[in-house]
Amino acid sequence: MRYRVSGDALTATLSDGAVLLNLHSKRYFSLNETGTRVWGLIEQNAELDDIVRTLTAEYDVPESDARSEVMALVSELLAEGLVVGASG
Amino acid sequence: MQSPAAIATGEPVTQEWRHGLIDVRASGGDTFLFHTAARAALHVRHGRLARGEGYSSAPAAARRELARLGAQLVLRARGLYHVHAAGVVAPDGRAWLLAGESGCGKSTIAYALMRAGWRVLGEDGVLLQRAGDTLIAHAWRDTLQVSIELAEYFPELWSHRAKVNWSDPRHRVPIAPSGMQHAPIAALVFLDRARRDSITPVPETVALSRLVRQSSTVLLSDTHAGAHLAALRDLVMKVPRYRLEHSAHQLHHAQETLLEAAR
Repeated sequence: MRYRVSGDALTATLSDGAVLLNLHSKRYFSLNETGTRVWGLIEQNAELDDIVRTLTAEYDVPESDARSEVMALVSELLAEGLVVGASG
Repeated sequence: MQSPAAIATGEPVTQEWRHGLIDVRASGGDTFLFHTAARAALHVRHGRLARGEGYSSAPAAARRELARLGAQLVLRARGLYHVHAAGVVAPDGRAWLLAGESGCGKSTIAYALMRAGWRVLGEDGVLLQRAGDTLIAHAWRDTLQVSIELAEYFPELWSHRAKVNWSDPRHRVPIAPSGMQHAPIAALVFLDRARRDSITPVPETVALSRLVRQSSTVLLSDTHAGAHLAALRDLVMKVPRYRLEHSAHQLHHAQETLLEAAR
């Protein structure tokens, strides 16, 4: 599964995380460093499985933990209209 | 692993984004501002303001609100980004931005610093400009307004008593502008009233989230929103950020508190 950043989203990446704006809903959000890493991988058009593998390697955690955390974040991003499902 | 699910959902700013009674709709390069109480419209077209239906017959206060927001949008298109903060210039010529919610003490601390020899760029807003590696704060047109109740601490305010606006719940008096036009930015300070004084560093994401909440024109979806957000990001990344929790003690000690933090 792959996702892409919504056309309504604006991102500001900082040294300790990121702030996301949804110009349609007029809501804004902050991401911590790990969330920002996931967001960056989505921006690079990475597959969900690749995102999980990357986090598993970089943070030295069980894959199941990484997967549940990534899924939880992606669900929130989808619900807030910050990412949309992408085909291919 | 730090949980990536900490998508710390900031508070929605939809209400603030409406700018009180003004609805804003952007489409490409055109923006339509509509004052819902006065039923008056103002357009921003090709970087200029154009009166719309009901504008000329609207009450002066409604016209001022529309013009103020329209001017912010016109200036944004020219690379001058409104930041909801007081701007005060230290004796070394560098500006400190005092940000925070309405009632957090921006005008009060700005006036306290003015008495210590600082100059005021604006009490409720400044314009941020990126100039190479430097960030410049430009004056915005607000007059510094200070509550007459502060005369208890600043006795010279009694001489302004005749100018008090008694219909204003804060009973404020206008203070003559300092004539300062712009200055490079030294620091960003978020103010919060408290019983005890403290000054602490603020993480970048927290600082940017607070700026977005308070300077919500950044959420207006015309073609300049990205540049506006980038300018606010530059601000929090390039200058030190502090949170000043202040009691009445700071009315006479704000200068030393800020300069000590920056040392």
